[in-house]
Amino acid sequence: MYTQYIHMHSGIVISQSDSRPMYLQIMEQVKQRVAVGEWGPGDEIPSIRQLAMDLRVSVITIKRAYLELEREGVIVTQQGKGSIVAPDPDLGSRLYDEEFSKHLAKVAQLGELLGLSSEEIARRTKEASSRLSGASRTKEVV
Amino acid sequence: MNYSMVRSLVLKDWYFQRKAIVLCLAGGVLSLGIIAFGGKMGFYLGLLLLITVMIVIGATLVMGTLVGERENQTLAFVMSLPISFREYTAAKMLVNLLLFIPFWLILVAGSLGLIVAAPTIHGLFAFTVIMAVEILMSTCLMIAVALVTESKGWTISAMMAGNLAINVIGYVVAHIPGISDGMFGTTIQWRPAATLSVLVEFALIALMLGGAFFLQSRKKDFI
Amino acid sequence: MNDVSVHFAGVSKRYPHFSLEEIHFELPTGSIMGFIGANGAGKSTTIRILMGLVHQDTGTVEVLGHPMPADQAAAKMDIGFVSEDMRLYGAAPLAWHMEFLRGIYPRWDQSYAENLARRFDLKPEQKIKGLSHGQRVKAALLLALARRPRLLVLDEPTTGLDPVARVEVLGELMAALADEERTILFSSHNTLDVENISDQITFIDRGRIIDSDNKEAFLDRWRRLRLLLPPDVVVPRLPGVVEVGGSGRLPVITTNCFDPVMVSVCNDLGATVEAVDTMTLEEIFVANVHSRRERLTA
Repeated sequence: MYTQYIHMHSGIVISQSDSRPMYLQIMEQVKQRVAVGEWGPGDEIPSIRQLAMDLRVSVITIKRAYLELEREGVIVTQQGKGSIVAPDPDLGSRLYDEEFSKHLAKVAQLGELLGLSSEEIARRTKEASSRLSGASRTKEVV
Repeated sequence: MNYSMVRSLVLKDWYFQRKAIVLCLAGGVLSLGIIAFGGKMGFYLGLLLLITVMIVIGATLVMGTLVGERENQTLAFVMSLPISFREYTAAKMLVNLLLFIPFWLILVAGSLGLIVAAPTIHGLFAFTVIMAVEILMSTCLMIAVALVTESKGWTISAMMAGNLAINVIGYVVAHIPGISDGMFGTTIQWRPAATLSVLVEFALIALMLGGAFFLQSRKKDFI
Repeated sequence: MNDVSVHFAGVSKRYPHFSLEEIHFELPTGSIMGFIGANGAGKSTTIRILMGLVHQDTGTVEVLGHPMPADQAAAKMDIGFVSEDMRLYGAAPLAWHMEFLRGIYPRWDQSYAENLARRFDLKPEQKIKGLSHGQRVKAALLLALARRPRLLVLDEPTTGLDPVARVEVLGELMAALADEERTILFSSHNTLDVENISDQITFIDRGRIIDSDNKEAFLDRWRRLRLLLPPDVVVPRLPGVVEVGGSGRLPVITTNCFDPVMVSVCNDLGATVEAVDTMTLEEIFVANVHSRRERLTA
């Protein structure tokens, strides 16, 4: 009986000043924790009610976030047993991959608005990537 | 009617009026002492003190328990308890009457006792009984008005009306044929006129309290 | 038990200078409903009718299965009520109030009460008259929560609380909902609190309910579309438009039944959709009230 009320700290922190709908914020943070590996495949995550209490956010908002997360295959909700991270071992990297694709799409869109050709876009992307690895190499040297 | 709730409410009000209650009880005991051991002067002084104490306890309780709830905005708290107007009204009436009546009974018993013990004033017996019930009636008027109006202004008016009534009714009763002729005699007389007067008074008391209960039931805005 | 904790149908109440009309709403068990309205809109009157403290002129009210005000004593056995204008007995300490209620409510949870006192930073032996406003509000809330009610009715529970106390109180309210049979109804000016913790939202203005829906649906339906119109194009006619602001070439359309297809409709009509903004509950509320009042005066 007592175990039901153990406060399962989700570690999720909501930002009031973030203008996006609450359920999107929650979804993003859950996905981040999975991507980073803090919540591994098959791990238990806070139940809808527990998270609602923890974040001081309505149950309906958490429900919506969890529903969407389930649709995207990030979590699995078992009837009467709470929710777990989807047991897919590649989930973490898949999520990062999705983020990457989203950003790429944005890059392509902006490139088009600027009137850049696809070669130009590709060159700029490569530049950005080498700059990044150059910086990390410098860090290693230092 | 939830009697346990009524009891809780009555005890609550007595708790909050405890200082006044203790003071008046002390005053009552003191006045009885003065009457018993003060001789002739003591009789009048003691009686006066007793009447004063009784008036004070009546007024304090009514103001404190009836007008006070609205003034202090505690009415919402009380009405959020599992009660309806029935328990509230019954409790308020009991809070006041259960304290007033003992004082009143002591006064009546004491006064009548003294009258019986002193042959020269035997004739005052019937008049005293009628006036004692009249005092009870004035108090019930005050309780009824305070309960229904919850207003300081109206309650004070009722108190003043009650005081006035004592004098007026006292004058009237003292001139009723069946009572006036024996008043200054040395025998205890109880004529039908006296019975009638007392019955009328009790009927009025029932009307006032019943009327207050009825009006409370018709209230559509309790807060 | 009951699926619905509170049911209002056709309720009205008429005062000389104000009337409540056609109040219909339902509060499902286990959910939390926020009542939003300006001062004098009718929130407090509706709540008092719910508690049986004010008798409606027409309509039926059912609370936890009990008809009100007829069965109010039974209903109130399971209700915890706190209102902004309610006062506790100043001459007595919080502990006295706790003892008093303990003798009345069979489900009174003394250890929970003491726990709450600690969490709310209240000293039970301190007299109520010595407490600050915020502490009094927390004390009243403690007394309502500790009786483990099936329904919590709160009229402006966080008004007058400092930000820290507000968070504490909201936390306790949410914790109370851990029991799925518990329901909360609260009225507030604070649209942020309502937006965050409510499952259902009801708007009241000038004695009428002007909208009542589940919170996510509300937030989904309302959008501000920022358009860029070419010189010869007129503002597109869209459904559910509550307000059109901005300028001639850069109109801002506020709609209460947004659908993504509207974006393509605008594009087809030659208007560029610069942005589709979500709206906070506060913005929704103000837009709703303004448009309604404008319609009434037009």
